[in-house]
Amino acid sequence: MNDLPNRARSISSLRDFLELLEDSGQAITWSDPVMPEPGVRNIAVAASRDANGAPAIVFDNITGYPGKRLAVGVHGSWDNIALLLGRPKGTTIRELFFEIAGRWGDQEAQISYVPEAQAPVHECRLEQDINLYDILPVYRINEYDGGFYIGKASVASRDPLDPDNFGKQNVGIYRLQIQGPDSFTLMTIPAHDMGRQILAAEREKVPLKIAVMLGNHPGLAVFAATPIGYEESEYSYASAMMGAPIRLTKSGNGIDILADSEIVIEAELQLGERELEGPFGEFPGSYSGVRKAPIFKVTAVSHRRDPIFENIYIGRGWTEHDTLIGLHTSAPIYAQLRQSFPEVTAVNALYQHGLTGIISVKNRMAGFAKTVALRALSTPHGVMYLKNLIMVDADVDPFDLNQVMWALSTRTRADDVIVLPNMPAVPIDPSAVVPGKGHRLIIDATSYLPPDPVGEAHLVTPPTGDEIDALSKRIREMQLGALS
Amino acid sequence: MTTTVCGRCKSSGAVTDYQGRQDGAVVWTILRCPTCNFSWRDSEPARAIDPAARSADFAVDAGDLQRYPKILQQ
Repeated sequence: MNDLPNRARSISSLRDFLELLEDSGQAITWSDPVMPEPGVRNIAVAASRDANGAPAIVFDNITGYPGKRLAVGVHGSWDNIALLLGRPKGTTIRELFFEIAGRWGDQEAQISYVPEAQAPVHECRLEQDINLYDILPVYRINEYDGGFYIGKASVASRDPLDPDNFGKQNVGIYRLQIQGPDSFTLMTIPAHDMGRQILAAEREKVPLKIAVMLGNHPGLAVFAATPIGYEESEYSYASAMMGAPIRLTKSGNGIDILADSEIVIEAELQLGERELEGPFGEFPGSYSGVRKAPIFKVTAVSHRRDPIFENIYIGRGWTEHDTLIGLHTSAPIYAQLRQSFPEVTAVNALYQHGLTGIISVKNRMAGFAKTVALRALSTPHGVMYLKNLIMVDADVDPFDLNQVMWALSTRTRADDVIVLPNMPAVPIDPSAVVPGKGHRLIIDATSYLPPDPVGEAHLVTPPTGDEIDALSKRIREMQLGALS
Repeated sequence: MTTTVCGRCKSSGAVTDYQGRQDGAVVWTILRCPTCNFSWRDSEPARAIDPAARSADFAVDAGDLQRYPKILQQ
């Protein structure tokens, strides 16, 4: 276990990662009988209370699903994310943030192709009489969801108008509601890559085929949720960020898919058709509405022998959704801000996909932090998501909420709050004035610089830095050691 | 006894999509309402699937399906 970086780079599948997690005490098997509802939900929610240390849970005895396996919480704690990145358990969120930020644009993608006949994902193949319920041990994720949801699917598709372009293939996480044995609806918006592709296919009346990958390389699950450019490949991006090769193969309907996924569902858009979808308990902790969404017909399913169905608990936080995408929401904002303002020292957008963000910055001049905040609102993610922004000085760790509260308490003057009315908003933000439109809040909790009157305060400067971080960890280890 | 009345929109005529078995015996059935697309398992707690026990906040009006917006319009 003292070669964690190499072990992380050697991961090529969910199974590899579960083995690594298990070796590190970060995956458990739940073999007691459990009912799909409410048993699975209750256990997943109980586990996610421990955002730092929760293990992945593999269920292998769900009543009515004999022989089937379900995994939840694979990305459900910071310790699991640390192991994915080749870092030890106990690595701080701040350290993980800089690990990811440091990999940005730093590595080359390594993509290899596996012949279909040798790809583990194609070990078993179904092309007729398909019943998704016969393959997937599904359960109602939140009690008023409109049906049985696949919440952690990486959906791959080619651009229907440019199908030979590798870069324009899209891989994204979209929620899927099973609509009978061989159909599902997919929820997206026009701004998402999949929304663009559906609209283009329906406008030009050309087919749109997709491959839904379940139980994937744990790096892809993270990076498929990261907003990158339309012509950038999520596979290349995931490989570069992991610093490791990604093995691809072809699905039966001609799409590049991961060769080592547990399950791949091939499907085709039913052009122009919409079916009632929802509600679904979403990441702000409230249910989406009922809407009419595009529907896909399943054409084939490939899976490994004895496949593991991987799913997620999502709802009122803290949940796996937050650890899955939190740092990869924060890191792009940081990188984009640094292009204009190298004074930005860290970005914490962990909360509800960045509905609240905390940015630390070295003030260049009086009021500078407010300028940086306005730039953050114009980053790709900021346009829709960054609703509440708290600006702190560089001597405040935005990942340590006790320090953030100290800055709010001691450095904020009440007239340092800006409200920007009637701005774009995420449609599922329950505080929106109307869905899709709401107000933004900027709190400048940085200290004052001349020409502002700066007062007479002189800061206490307790020791900080690597030495203190190491001492803190050692004290914790001594404390744990005293028990054993 | 499995009911074919939808717990969400109270329409009848739900169809059976799947039956879970344990040691050969059926232990639950997944049903789907063709009117509002609600899917449920007959072993779920009553507050999720029984129209008498279910919160009205999550009901769907089978007589006014036009009220639900269609996403992705050209």
